[in-house]
Amino acid sequence: MTTTLPTPPATERRARRERDARRRQRGFSFVDAVRPLLNTLPPTEVLSPEGVDKIHRASMRLLKEIGILIVDYPPAAETFRRHGAIVEDCAEGQRVRIDEDTLFHFVRKAPSSFVQLARNPAKSVPVGGRHTIFAPVYGPPFVLDLDRGRRQATIEDFRNFARLTYMSEHLHHNGGTLCEPNDVDVKERHLDMLLAHITLSDKAFMGSVTHKENARDTVAMAEIVFGAEAIRRQPAVLSLINASSPLRFDDRMFGALQIYAEAGQALIITPFLIAGAMSPVSMAATLAQQNAEALFGICYAQMLNPGTPCIYGSFLANIDLRSGAPCFGTPEGNLALYAGAQMARHYHLPYRSGGNFTASRIPDAQAGYESASTFLATVQAGVNFVLHAAGWLEGGLISGYEKFVLDLEMCGMMAKFAQGIGLDDEDFAWDAYEEVGPGGHFLGSQHTMRHYETAFYQHAVFNMDNYEKWESEGAEDAYKRANAAWKRMLLEYQPPALDEGVKEALLAFVEKRRAEIRAGRLVRE
Amino acid sequence: MDFKDLPDEELWLQMQDDLYDGLKDEVVEETHEALRRGYGPTEVLAKGLVAGMDIVGVDFRDGVLFVPEVLMAANAMKAGMEILRPLLTQTGAPRIGTMVIGTVKGDIHDIGKNLVSMMMEGAGFEVINLGVNNDADKFVAAVREHNADILGMSALLTTTMPYMKVVIQALKDEGLRDKVFVMVGGAPVSEAFAEEIEADAYGRDAATAVDIAKKYMAWKNEKRAAA
Repeated sequence: MTTTLPTPPATERRARRERDARRRQRGFSFVDAVRPLLNTLPPTEVLSPEGVDKIHRASMRLLKEIGILIVDYPPAAETFRRHGAIVEDCAEGQRVRIDEDTLFHFVRKAPSSFVQLARNPAKSVPVGGRHTIFAPVYGPPFVLDLDRGRRQATIEDFRNFARLTYMSEHLHHNGGTLCEPNDVDVKERHLDMLLAHITLSDKAFMGSVTHKENARDTVAMAEIVFGAEAIRRQPAVLSLINASSPLRFDDRMFGALQIYAEAGQALIITPFLIAGAMSPVSMAATLAQQNAEALFGICYAQMLNPGTPCIYGSFLANIDLRSGAPCFGTPEGNLALYAGAQMARHYHLPYRSGGNFTASRIPDAQAGYESASTFLATVQAGVNFVLHAAGWLEGGLISGYEKFVLDLEMCGMMAKFAQGIGLDDEDFAWDAYEEVGPGGHFLGSQHTMRHYETAFYQHAVFNMDNYEKWESEGAEDAYKRANAAWKRMLLEYQPPALDEGVKEALLAFVEKRRAEIRAGRLVRE
Repeated sequence: MDFKDLPDEELWLQMQDDLYDGLKDEVVEETHEALRRGYGPTEVLAKGLVAGMDIVGVDFRDGVLFVPEVLMAANAMKAGMEILRPLLTQTGAPRIGTMVIGTVKGDIHDIGKNLVSMMMEGAGFEVINLGVNNDADKFVAAVREHNADILGMSALLTTTMPYMKVVIQALKDEGLRDKVFVMVGGAPVSEAFAEEIEADAYGRDAATAVDIAKKYMAWKNEKRAAA
């Protein structure tokens, strides 16, 4: 027997459709396009123009008199020598000293802004100017979630973070090493990570820097997805080149830099500074050293390929001088974050810094305070590329599932914050005053009806319920609510469309490379 | 201050205080003075240097001392040890221990490892610091050359961490694995990883590493005495 359901009246059907649409729209949802923050706020400055100049001059002195050590990579030293730097062989490698004129002859060739391509063109991102891009945490060997605790990260964790990143409208970029997949052999790990970025998301992503050949593989995979010519017109890969501070670069990083620069791909040159250990305990010296190291790396990229898009990077924290542990969210770190932004602007270079930093092991009150203080500073400083915007715990040793979701809330709030205060006639809401008058309320006014959906930031995980309601619904803290949120997101996840031909070509490349690497042939044939 | 007039008991206390304050020259002179008064190297070590460093260790653990202060104390300890070490060897006293330490191949990060090295010296160990970017051959050669009791390996990068296993395999191949206690550490390293690569211990921080090393040496000396 078949039952024919009565057809509901048209109005009711429409209402239900609208209900579904709203539920979708107001939960975590897939996004068709990403729009990095267009920061309308005047950047907070902590240095006077004289201060900027003092740091500039101190860094020039460092480069000229102390110099930078290049370890195990003579080709880079040779490039510097050829372009006029003074290179001296020493036990650990080559010491390179360079003067201001030579340095800036090259640094000036770096563009002040550029666009990084995403697989989905609506998600390509402008880098530089007033734009702020949020990208997830990079590099942790461990993951943490409420159910399973802290453990070594696996490729499945990596894929989960790629999915979560794709799901969030507040992240504009897929980042890079979302966590370190320890269960995949280190020699072929980069292939699986890149494959996850490209197939599980359609946002812009970062390249592998752990070996020169891995950088080559990254470029080859980008060529498959975007086309070899397209990525030479506009970069499709952005890669993180760290200095081994103090005043030192190694073959791994400079080798990868060379491959990317020669292919015209974008770079972030980041000195790795934990003041007290990798730099002196004073912020002036630390900032001068950061400036020297960042500009030195950018100079090298320009020597190899003039016009290579480069971001002036900063990763600057300080050590706890009582235990030796790194600290995050410190007053000194925040001051340096603002000052670093001023230095980058001084040279007309895009700036990378900040994130939702904390030293805490779990998403507790310490994590919340530290993250919020650095993240607010990040946005107020006018940072262009924000790595570690979501998921960072334990000084970067942990990618936290719950922390990721909680940080997304911060990202969302900062997106609103960066819009500043609108001052149009509509923003002054004259008609609402005419309508309501003294003593009424504005909840039903026409002006409110026109704007209520976007007027205020809508929280996704933070809870605004009164005590009794909150208690009757389980009395869950933010940690528990975040646990439910990431699980729901993964449940709702659906991969973005990917051209079958491209997918096959990618898989074929990965399998071929995997076979070569397993056969001991690290260099691609 | 003239410690030469101090009674013996106060000389020990003065040594401990000077060690705590990182006064290297004073500790050296006091070590000579104690030996001149006829105390054996084992006693000078125990009553002066080790007793002093024990106090430093407690105050470091409790967050009273700053790392630079511990560094100064360890340097003073090291200077005192340089005087005592040859004498200790002559008297056949229990070995405090020799450690070979280094960062593995591909990794040029060494600040954490140097902190461990400094703390080990502070505990009286003889430390052969191989620096950064060491391949298995270099570790094996150093373990053999210095007849090391302990091998410490560190890595900061997840990509270089697996190389520790290569070194452990090389020790096995050379027949040295049973002769040396292998300790691993570094930010991405964990207890689970140490077990996985069959290291003997994981030192989560410098102070813990020293504790483990001391315990191991106590066990080894006991075993040697029993044998």
